[in-house]
Amino acid sequence: MSTLHVISSSPFADTRLGSCLRTLGPNDGLLLCGEAVQALRPGTPMALRLGTLAGARLYALDEDCLARGLESVEAEQVDYPGFVELSLRYTRVNTWL
Amino acid sequence: MAKSLLIVSRSAPWSGLAAREALDIALAGGAYDLPLGMLFMDDGVFQLVEGQRPEALKQKNLGANLQALPLFGVDALFACSASLAERGLDPAMLAVPATLTAPEALPAVFNQFDEVITL
Amino acid sequence: MKFAIAVFSPPQAPATRRALRFTEAALAAGHEISRVFFYGEGVHNASANIVVPQDEFDTAAAWRLLITDNGLDGVVCIAAALRRGTLNAEEAARWDRPAATVLPPLELSGLGQLHEAAQSADRLVCFGGD
Repeated sequence: MSTLHVISSSPFADTRLGSCLRTLGPNDGLLLCGEAVQALRPGTPMALRLGTLAGARLYALDEDCLARGLESVEAEQVDYPGFVELSLRYTRVNTWL
Repeated sequence: MAKSLLIVSRSAPWSGLAAREALDIALAGGAYDLPLGMLFMDDGVFQLVEGQRPEALKQKNLGANLQALPLFGVDALFACSASLAERGLDPAMLAVPATLTAPEALPAVFNQFDEVITL
Repeated sequence: MKFAIAVFSPPQAPATRRALRFTEAALAAGHEISRVFFYGEGVHNASANIVVPQDEFDTAAAWRLLITDNGLDGVVCIAAALRRGTLNAEEAARWDRPAATVLPPLELSGLGQLHEAAQSADRLVCFGGD
């Protein structure tokens, strides 16, 4: 049993990502899309924190990384077919609206 | 067997429609006898404060709807203890009975439900 | 597999275009969509009255096209829609309002339709926020 968490807001603008990280289980996945991919900018406290996720898998939507000039990130980049596949790989999808 | 749904309410009560619309999803599901739970976390815990007077803002009192949740069969109510503590809220003074849950226990709460909507 | 899609954000939010792309990808992979349910600010996607500059992506129009081309069940929460002024002809007449902006194939209906879609699907995927 596991949850794919989906976050799209900038971690510098609001607290969704911080709250999500508190509730992340060891078998869960976290997909960053929209402005949330900014959390992967190297050297930031949030990027360092994301680098230490125990067990949980980290994903990023490829179009959002490309749009923002983030070429290689410390996350598995997925496209939309990949996003669909992830939503079926985990038990449920929790989008932080 | 019906799928269960957890509704996570993260919004303060008088900051727009999110709190009300999360509650409406819960009440609608309850009316259909669906297995539901509701988790209040982050600013959503402000919905649980006693003694609020929303009529000062020409707003309807959500408290009455919250108290109706068990009547609609939604009695699995959870409140994040860290969210309460960070906001200076006394867990003994909540307007509705909710199970206090530490953040590290939340993955287990999520795993009790088939689906989740976080508003 | 069957997906229920819930859209909580208005046409101009990136999340709404993301929902569209996800739904397209699910269909392309051979999955079914039990329903697309528009709630909260998502009801604005149902408005046929939106005018987008020609060199910009018209998300609301794209949703209507996807729903029509694939015979999807596109439902708009009536309570959320009334509050936000996106009425169909029936509701505009009922409430004596000057304009109906929600046209078929989009229907106004209750939250029960969101629950029914989630119950009959393998996954409920919500889109909203930014």
